[in-house]
Amino acid sequence: MATAPSDYVFQDEFTADSTYEVGEAVSLWKDAWRRLTSNYFALFGLAVIVLLLLVAIVSQFWTPYPTWKQGIGPTYGGPSAAHPFGLDQVGRDILSRLMGGAAIALAVGLGTALLSSVIGIALGLLAGFYRGWVDTMISLLINVWYGIPDLLVVMLFVVIINSRELKWIIVAISITAWLNMARLVRGQTLALREREFVEAARSIGTRDVGLLTRHILPNALGPIIVQATYLIPAAILFEAFLSFLGLGAPPPEPSWGAMCAEGYKSLQLAAHVTLVPAFALAITLIALNAFGDGLRDALDPRMRR
Amino acid sequence: MAPLLQVEDLKTHFHLRDGVVKAVDGITFHVDKGETVGIVGESGSGKSITSLSIMRLVPEPGRIVHGRILFGANGQPKDVVKMTDEEIRDFRGSDVSMIFQDPMTSLNPVLRIGFQVREAMSAHDRFSDEQSKSRVVPLLKKVRIPGAADRTKAFPHQFSGGMRQRVMIAMGLSNEPSLLIADEPTTALDVTVQAQIIELLRDLNREMGTAIILITHNLAVVASICTRVIVMYAGRIVEEGYTRDIFKNPQHPYTWSLLRSMPRLDAARHSKLLTISGLPPDMSNPPPGCKFHPRCRFRVDRCLEEEPPLGEVGPNQFARCWVLMRNALVTQPEKAAAAEVPIPPLTAEPAQIDQRSEPDRPGAVKA
Amino acid sequence: MTRGTLLYIGQRTLLIVLTAFIVSSIVFIGVHQLPGNAFVGERRTSAASQQALLQHYGLDKPWPQQYGTWVTGVLTRGDLGESLKQRGQKITPLLLREARVSVSLGLFAMAFCIIFGMGLGILAAVKQNTWIDYVASFLATVGYSMPNFVTAFLLILLTVTGFYAWSGGNFYEDIGWGKLEQIPVPAIALGLLPMTLITRLTRASMLEVIRQDYVRTAWAKGLRSRVVIVRHALRNALIPVITVLGPITTGVITGSVVIEYLFGIPGLGKEFVSSIFQRDYNVVIAVFTFYAVLVGLANLAVDLVYPILDPRIRY
Repeated sequence: MATAPSDYVFQDEFTADSTYEVGEAVSLWKDAWRRLTSNYFALFGLAVIVLLLLVAIVSQFWTPYPTWKQGIGPTYGGPSAAHPFGLDQVGRDILSRLMGGAAIALAVGLGTALLSSVIGIALGLLAGFYRGWVDTMISLLINVWYGIPDLLVVMLFVVIINSRELKWIIVAISITAWLNMARLVRGQTLALREREFVEAARSIGTRDVGLLTRHILPNALGPIIVQATYLIPAAILFEAFLSFLGLGAPPPEPSWGAMCAEGYKSLQLAAHVTLVPAFALAITLIALNAFGDGLRDALDPRMRR
Repeated sequence: MAPLLQVEDLKTHFHLRDGVVKAVDGITFHVDKGETVGIVGESGSGKSITSLSIMRLVPEPGRIVHGRILFGANGQPKDVVKMTDEEIRDFRGSDVSMIFQDPMTSLNPVLRIGFQVREAMSAHDRFSDEQSKSRVVPLLKKVRIPGAADRTKAFPHQFSGGMRQRVMIAMGLSNEPSLLIADEPTTALDVTVQAQIIELLRDLNREMGTAIILITHNLAVVASICTRVIVMYAGRIVEEGYTRDIFKNPQHPYTWSLLRSMPRLDAARHSKLLTISGLPPDMSNPPPGCKFHPRCRFRVDRCLEEEPPLGEVGPNQFARCWVLMRNALVTQPEKAAAAEVPIPPLTAEPAQIDQRSEPDRPGAVKA
Repeated sequence: MTRGTLLYIGQRTLLIVLTAFIVSSIVFIGVHQLPGNAFVGERRTSAASQQALLQHYGLDKPWPQQYGTWVTGVLTRGDLGESLKQRGQKITPLLLREARVSVSLGLFAMAFCIIFGMGLGILAAVKQNTWIDYVASFLATVGYSMPNFVTAFLLILLTVTGFYAWSGGNFYEDIGWGKLEQIPVPAIALGLLPMTLITRLTRASMLEVIRQDYVRTAWAKGLRSRVVIVRHALRNALIPVITVLGPITTGVITGSVVIEYLFGIPGLGKEFVSSIFQRDYNVVIAVFTFYAVLVGLANLAVDLVYPILDPRIRY
């Protein structure tokens, strides 16, 4: 198009118009990025997340000591040069275990966010697009599911599956975590399917799959990304609860929740055994939520506080 | 006789991150007892901020930065700007009441109508509790709400827009204030309801002697009720005078354009409606000189550099325009030629006006 | 009570019953898919005595029949069955006894989170963009991300000296249940996260309402600032806050599982955890169904309070 000579005015205007629109779309994301980077709390969150990712990757190849190795030093040993975060009740290096825990937390968080987003988006699209009895069934399922405390469902599922492998924990958390995503996508779809560009696409014979994937989904992407971002800390929190109650990754896996539970018995004697993983967990969740808030504000300025 | 309200060189500015918006920038006017004054202008001209300034209800980050608002016809007038928190509280709703543009959102949705009217009285000590209670129904009757006695227990959402505006008026008049400020009271209403509300305001003004400041962009409303008009543009008064004079003989180009842009049944069928080209100025970065010059068909070079003062252009009529101010131009003999621009009569076909004029081209004097 | 309201209550009650039915059947089917049976792990059980136990609990019958028997028992006698591990222990009285503990802890936590959450939210909104607002908003963001057991650790460490002084003895003996002074620490640990939710919501709602035209009208009437804030702004700002009380009930129930386990409080949550570990499925099913009904009732209560606060809502 760039080389084609513009013979008549109409085409001139047309090209000018389309470049203008592209500029709009680019500046929308650029604008969101600018808003995000001017939010210091969100930037702090992003920095922590990046650090966490690096630590998690490194931990797969190297930790100062093996995460499972007992009796490296004195039990309940306090922080020292060799062991910056001290040692736990069986003399394992807490820093090493903390690093391994980061990998578990992120794996559960990202895995759950992905899986439950897929479930939620699929059900939300179906309910919002086809309405009628499909919507009635899915909405009923959501409403019934909402009435059950989710942690209990996850606990029961883990017991029924009778496996504490990470992948099953991700599945267990995902089967309760998709609700909000489904609600969100359903609402967005209901609104978007009436819009002119969807009507237009329908009128030229675009199939339902095309309408959903090329017209409706891309336009609901902003809120979906924000919702998916919030799913990560929620899943990490759930995994911590499960591990704390002894239903998470089995020992000696260094899950932060399990580390808290093991150290809790000696909270008075050696608080660091509990507090180090507890703070790691809290800071991670704060960072992820702060980033999520920043992302929400950046993508949807109307919702800004 | 001292005026009821005397506003002197009022400046209300909004301090934003990107700069200062001078929403109201040095306006002076007065309202006499029992008078009805209209303030006219486009949105953003500062007319609403003027009225909110009188009530000291300017929203954040706006602030009254300069000027006096003297209120009180007899004895010593008090300066609203200098009132303490308790004084201003007792002033609002009792000395001066205000009704707002959108009656759908101006009443509290969770409180009953009767209670909201009574509450306005119990906030001040003009009436005792029993008096306030017994006054509610007569007040609602006075603003012609049908079945007033049965409707005090109703909630706002059970009322139509016109009825809600009547409730607002009843509430505003409940303490028998000497001034009622009506900020676009009919803009959000149907045309037929508009006429009823305006009629109601006129009758109440006559019966109770309450002075009214009517803020509107609707010139027909002004013509039907106001004795005097103040025309605002970009935070300033550009023309002021008696309604009859201004409608017959507008002096400022902006007022002239406003009147020309109003559809009239009595005008010749072939006469064109004028639109005012361009947009109101960006208030955080207003143009130099006369604020209206980018949109003015009659501008001269001087308009681009120097802002004209509000000068007398006729008996009791003032306008802020170099072109029309013969007196001012005496001191500027080199511009005398421009002063001879004929003032186009309202009814004449504006043949001498170039409809495709580009207001942005500097120095383009249309004649 | 209009006819519409009654109809609405009827619909909602039906949904609660339906939820309870679906929940109990899913759990029932789920636990019956498990390999082996509940008694396999036990020592000193001969094949004969195992068979007797299976017969006693009706576990030898096909599960649809078992479920039918169970539902009939619940509906006709309010009988939730018998514990698989504590032989002879009927679940209904057990549940009621433990529910009393959990509900008093939960109500305490709810009271804490509502009072302090709303208070902090209102304060932050009224003092918007002052240090009070910043501190409150920061606390809300941090608190929102705090797992309740982490809050509990910090509270225990904070009050540990106090506990020592009172008990004059071992601190571990003193966290638990039975004395009035043992309630606040677990209740606050339980209520902190929902409190931050309410704080955020109240603040946002209050800021929204303060900008509304009718609040400007209230100022223009010359009302005192206290009247404007409480009667005009707060009354309206609370309406959306009320709607989260349903989800918050769910959150408090979820949290109580962890908190009761941590503090050794003999409530439903602790019972649930130990039943899960002991595979006492009869108790698990009962607790699950009970929770589903409780959450449904809480949501119904919220829906019934809503039209009282907002006259525009009618069912």
